[in-house]
Amino acid sequence: MDATELCYASAGTLSRLVQQKELSPVEIIDAHLARIEATEPVLNSYITVLPEEARAAARRAESEIQRGDYRGPLHGIPVALKDLYNTAGVRTTSGSRIFDNFIPERDCTVAGRFRQAGAILLGKLNMHQFAYGPTGENPDYGHMHNPWDPEMVSGGSSGGSGSAAAAGQCTITTGSDTGGSIRIPAALCGIVGLKPTYGLVSRHGLTPLSWSLDHPGPMVRTVEDAALTMNAIAGHDPNDVASANIAVPDYTAALTGDIRGLRIGFPREYFDAPLDPEVAQAVHDALALMESMGAVVSEVSLPMFQDSHTISTAILMAEASAHFRDLLASDGDKIYGPVRLRLEAGLFISSADYLRAQQGRSVFNRQVRELLEQVDLLAGPTEPVTAPRLLAETVQAGEREVPTVPALTQYTRSYNVTGSPAISIPCGFSSAEMPIGLQLAGRPFDEVTVLRAAHAYEQATDWHTRRPPI
Amino acid sequence: MASETPLSHQLFLRMAAEAGLDIQSPHMDDLYAYTSGVLDGLRPLQNLDVNGAEPDMAFRPSPE
Repeated sequence: MDATELCYASAGTLSRLVQQKELSPVEIIDAHLARIEATEPVLNSYITVLPEEARAAARRAESEIQRGDYRGPLHGIPVALKDLYNTAGVRTTSGSRIFDNFIPERDCTVAGRFRQAGAILLGKLNMHQFAYGPTGENPDYGHMHNPWDPEMVSGGSSGGSGSAAAAGQCTITTGSDTGGSIRIPAALCGIVGLKPTYGLVSRHGLTPLSWSLDHPGPMVRTVEDAALTMNAIAGHDPNDVASANIAVPDYTAALTGDIRGLRIGFPREYFDAPLDPEVAQAVHDALALMESMGAVVSEVSLPMFQDSHTISTAILMAEASAHFRDLLASDGDKIYGPVRLRLEAGLFISSADYLRAQQGRSVFNRQVRELLEQVDLLAGPTEPVTAPRLLAETVQAGEREVPTVPALTQYTRSYNVTGSPAISIPCGFSSAEMPIGLQLAGRPFDEVTVLRAAHAYEQATDWHTRRPPI
Repeated sequence: MASETPLSHQLFLRMAAEAGLDIQSPHMDDLYAYTSGVLDGLRPLQNLDVNGAEPDMAFRPSPE
């Protein structure tokens, strides 16, 4: 396997070769560091790259494996973390120069679990400042660029994770998702992004944006890699007050390819919203394929779809402003203008409105729960459009020109309100050769069904095998 | 603040000062316009039928 193939191979493929001692972690890391060096001037996916540390870790992994101490499928596999995951001894900026010199003493829980699994940290990934935006803008460390067309956004807030995974700069990346920040860049960059159930992956040691809406999760190129990553990072953490104390299954066991009898509903409200016809067609084609594979596909209704946006806005803005209030007072003028505006505006949301939004959340959650008794999954577009041009204030979604930020979050944020698992997988390309994402959402803690359906669709198509021109 | 009446500039400045923001900054004009738009956008909250619903403050969705 040549260096480029190593960079585009899945964790599943690499790990099988590593376990059989046919491939050394040192070769894998060297190939990725070369790929980062070649593509980073265009993409700007990373805030910090760790070449020496990664090479040293690869040599250690190689020795361990040679002497028979193989730790499992992530041993020797490169991982890069969004730069709001605390990493012991490695600066963690949250995408702001205010924290340029912040070096955590301890790993966040997820970073610790990756280390335990033997994964090798390649670096820390660029992000929309403080994870507060869906486009991947960052004046402090430079904007992120889409590998399919560098004039376009990679999405946000986990934009560096999306571009790094899509361009073969890393095998496994992570994001965090408060209103879509895993699924948005996954869709716009043509990769797989899983927002797990709230409470399934620990938030301990991540910079918060909104305590009750933040979800950490994997961003990778295949559904199998999402399952492998979840096997390593999911599970109870007493350091996270929201962590669910439940048994974690082997998520790879879900990847049977069989979706016969699976009930998939697509909310009609999704298709009444602003939507590019090419995206709509790709999603309809995907649903038709799944139906041909034995799934039972039907139209359903989610009447509070639009209300969930208002609910999400009130909760997100109030919680984000509460967290960043002191920073606004001390360093507000150092925060990126649009992010600062959002943070400051949240200070004016009353407690009465915040609580009314939480009441609305109860009602919306009940509606989604009832819907998920009729069907096993809800499906639709992840994004109404393909990746917009960098810094574009509006996008054209079919016949409607709409503001970029609400458009990019219109299909994703509902599932932050409910805390349900939701995945974005590639389901096509536009006529301009830009990726399109399909979103599948399931019942709380039923990642198994979400992954099973996503994997079956993925294996029946070749979208995930395409590579960006960079 | 997403009530029937829009946020007055005077009340906005008073709240901004209480929140520790520099109300002399020229940035306040932008913030006032932006905040007014956000609060307008939250008005539909008042139309939600939340009768009998308690705020969903639980951080953990229950497993099925």
